Amino acid sequence: MSVPGHPLDRMFNPKTVAIIGDKGPNYMWLRNNQPFKDQGGNLYSVQIDEKEIPGIEELGIENFTALTDIPEPVDYAVVAVPRHVSPYVMKDLIEAEVGGAAFFTSGFAETGEELGVSLQAQLTEMARGANFNVVGPNCMGLYLPRVGVRFNPDVPVADDGRVGFVSQSGTHSIMFSLVMGANGMHLSRCASFGNAIVLDISDYLEYLTEDPETDVIAMYVEGVKDGPRFVKALREATAHKPVVVWKGGQTDAGARATMSHTGSLASPHAVWQGIMRQCGAIATNSLDETVDAMKVLLHAKPSSGKRMALMAMTGGQSVSITDAFVGEGFEVGRLTDQSYEELSSFFNIIGGSYQNPLDMAGTVQGKREVLERILGILDADESVDALVMEQSAMFGARQWKDHPERVEDLVDTLAGHIERSAKPFLMVMHPAHEEAFVAEVRLKFAERGIPVFASFERAAAAAARALARGTRS
Amino acid sequence: MTFAETVSSARAENRTLLSEVEAKAALGDSGVPVTATTLAQTREEAAAQAEAMGYPVALKVVSPNVAHKSDVGGVVLGLESHNEVAEGYDEIIRSVQAAQPSAVIEGVSVQEMASPGVEVIVGMTTDPQFGPVMMFGLGGIMVEVLGDVAFRLAPLDEGDARDMIDEIQGRQVLDGVRGQPPVDIGAIEAMLNRVSEFAAAHPEVAELDLNPVIASPEGAIAVDARIVLAEA
Repeated sequence: MSVPGHPLDRMFNPKTVAIIGDKGPNYMWLRNNQPFKDQGGNLYSVQIDEKEIPGIEELGIENFTALTDIPEPVDYAVVAVPRHVSPYVMKDLIEAEVGGAAFFTSGFAETGEELGVSLQAQLTEMARGANFNVVGPNCMGLYLPRVGVRFNPDVPVADDGRVGFVSQSGTHSIMFSLVMGANGMHLSRCASFGNAIVLDISDYLEYLTEDPETDVIAMYVEGVKDGPRFVKALREATAHKPVVVWKGGQTDAGARATMSHTGSLASPHAVWQGIMRQCGAIATNSLDETVDAMKVLLHAKPSSGKRMALMAMTGGQSVSITDAFVGEGFEVGRLTDQSYEELSSFFNIIGGSYQNPLDMAGTVQGKREVLERILGILDADESVDALVMEQSAMFGARQWKDHPERVEDLVDTLAGHIERSAKPFLMVMHPAHEEAFVAEVRLKFAERGIPVFASFERAAAAAARALARGTRS
Repeated sequence: MTFAETVSSARAENRTLLSEVEAKAALGDSGVPVTATTLAQTREEAAAQAEAMGYPVALKVVSPNVAHKSDVGGVVLGLESHNEVAEGYDEIIRSVQAAQPSAVIEGVSVQEMASPGVEVIVGMTTDPQFGPVMMFGLGGIMVEVLGDVAFRLAPLDEGDARDMIDEIQGRQVLDGVRGQPPVDIGAIEAMLNRVSEFAAAHPEVAELDLNPVIASPEGAIAVDARIVLAEA
């Protein structure tokens, strides 16, 4: 699947990839992209240093001493040469009509020094003149999980990714990809774009907007070069799919010269927040907030309603879950009389309660049919817009270790509920004293499309941000 | 005077800040409710204008050099008669001359007093990255201390003005607290939209403050106005 005719389509759907200038002992880029070769892609190396060639061939990768010697049309290239060589490489890339190239090479305008600035200007002029697609420089380039093009050896190869990610920062691209994977979510495509001398954030955003493999777009932005174009691209994107914008560098720059009160109040942060709302984008401030928003957008059904049914296992947690959701502007109100009537017929009120929140460990006691019954009642309750359930690792970890089938059983119950219900369902599982175990268990839930959050507060914040999908409430 | 003429005269005088009288005339012509404001250059003119306008009135100094009128004794409020206005005129001239001897005083503006209500601020500025943006906030301490304001790109689209109003932390104040009646939200929306249209029609306007605007159950009216032109 692709966007036929789009100028970025070849590099985002490569059949042939060239790695230019990779070096031992690690051959980082060749190794990162080994899965591309394993899946049948043509992976080639371009290296003129004779000392490096044997090591490359040992990896089973054919080396050429000139890019133009590669027999197939190259769709995507990674450039990892010293900066002073980069203009020569650019010339070859243009001549070979490569679909696009990411320059991992750094040492350009970001250094602030004269040589770096002038080399960057030279690359920019060459590429723009030839209408050549440059990713970067000073970036990690593309990550295409379906075809196995990667910018890091640990990011997953996966064909079920639905999130497109665009980032000014290489680190944040990698971290986001890894943490998403650890939460059972994969990317469709990712671009780390660094200095953005040719392709800028709006170019990638426009592609992802059209990309049928991308259902949700997320991005990390520090600054935007062309504000009006970005706003236009963002508005277009949010008209088609949810967009989460993680803004870095929130600290306001020094006040600019202004003769108006309005001007003195128009901090970059305040103006940015207004624009995000106006464009229908979901604003986040950190990696965790962004990943949490993805859980909601990928796995919770949309709802602009504010009335929550909260389910906790104990009295103390009932109070905390309520505090968290009320604190984010949700309502935790009365259920319908019919729901109370049904709940009263079986609910154990000794050490429990079926008000909202429901304090239900003593009633459920690990029994699947009881949990299903409660979920069914809340789902049918017309005064409830969304359901949130706590699962406690404090109690659960021991039981789940002793009886792993109970985890599978709970996952089945909840996945079945989500399939039947039109209302959003969120689950909170604090890792308590079992961080590593919970990370494993959480993945079982996530893989079945159950959004699991590490705390009440994070679940509530993500729900407040993303349940309504960024549309105007 | 049309706004184009006002702009040319400001350009000719090499200034980017329009006077309150100029700003209100331009905004009033564009359908933004502003308190009636006229320029008097003698105490007799001031008294005659007040008489025609109806009491009470406010007087404010008109000077291209005075940034904050009340700091130099350039504002007198609630004048109820011919004599009070004439004396108020003299008092303003004396105070401003004493506080800021270098100030060029063009006269004193005579202004209709708005009925009491909630002070809000409506503004426009030019963001270096994104261009013209509109602002709304509660006036007074809410804006000074808390910066409780909302921004949107201009020109505003349908629904933007209402979203800005609903976004501020102190939104409840507009619904009436402590027995106050709710203000006319629609009138604030209309004002934001009119100002947005004014800014779109006049790209030479770089910044604009309506501060305060008095919002009440009867409507919203700008009591003070400031327009800053872009450098020519």
